[in-house]
Amino acid sequence: MTALYSSEWLQPAFNDPVLDAQASFRGALKALAEPGLVQTLDRALALDGLQAATYALCLAFLDGDTPLWLAPRFDTPLIRANLAFHCGCPIVTEREVALFALLDTEQLDDLSDFDNGSERYPDQSCTLLIQLDALDTGAPLRWRGPGIKDVRSVSLPLPAAFWQQRSARSAFPRGLDAFFAAGNQVIGLPRSTRVLDNAEEAA
Amino acid sequence: MHHDPQIATRQRWMSVLARAGQHLARFEAALKDADYQLIRAPEVGMSLVRGRMGGTGAAFNLGEMTVTRCVVRLGDGRTGYSYVAGRDKQHAELAALADAHLQGTQQAHWLEQLIEPLAADQQAARAQAAAETATTQVEFFTLVRGED
Repeated sequence: MTALYSSEWLQPAFNDPVLDAQASFRGALKALAEPGLVQTLDRALALDGLQAATYALCLAFLDGDTPLWLAPRFDTPLIRANLAFHCGCPIVTEREVALFALLDTEQLDDLSDFDNGSERYPDQSCTLLIQLDALDTGAPLRWRGPGIKDVRSVSLPLPAAFWQQRSARSAFPRGLDAFFAAGNQVIGLPRSTRVLDNAEEAA
Repeated sequence: MHHDPQIATRQRWMSVLARAGQHLARFEAALKDADYQLIRAPEVGMSLVRGRMGGTGAAFNLGEMTVTRCVVRLGDGRTGYSYVAGRDKQHAELAALADAHLQGTQQAHWLEQLIEPLAADQQAARAQAAAETATTQVEFFTLVRGED
């Protein structure tokens, strides 16, 4: 696929590039500031396999300085062409160098290669953008941490392996931040949020 | 100009379209007589212009200029691009549409109807400006004073 032919895949992105990107970025910030609360991101249209909220996150976050790792499901000529055109982000094959990763449920049981930052620069970790089918069909878990008053119950449909992988990569201030998107909704899960197990729940 | 004749041809029409300015409005009806959507609506931005002293020296930043760019896609999937100097969004949109039309099967038609008249106008305007400037030319004669 050369640049000459990729242009036939292009589709319009945000209607108003400036205001829509700002509104989407604001929504993403709110999602991280209040982990577990659903935010609506409906400024973009769905693109091929990318749902509206997932694509809005991509358009708001990605630019020429943010290498992106694509899950095989999203690695289509259409998505590649549109991300290259509208975001200009380099798409990388090594997980270690990615600053953002676009994932679906297939990748959640192995997060070992994504960069979780360094002690000096914990902000340079890889942010996971995870597309799910729904945000409320899983078993309820109790989240606690900054942005949550007491405890919040969140029912993301995630495999247990994801939570193990997340805590394995977590050594505050290092860790992985994640966004979960489905349809036009987003939930944020920053590294500072703790997921309570049953023992802590009783306490 | 590029060594690939196809690319060189496109470079030529791109340059004619970029300089066309208000003159493209004459062709608005013909250009918009097609199914199209804006992939990137006309947007105004800045572009850094770099130069080389004498064309060969080290590159330096000359300054920034205002540029308007636009990308359109016709119903059949062809895309047209434009980057034009200034803030004229209509100019950018029409130039992108023209670029898309010029890549299709009707290329000869569009070259003849659109590009050649515009190129002739631009050539005439340049020649006239050059002629007007030429009348103000002053020849300086210096006498050798024999100091060295």
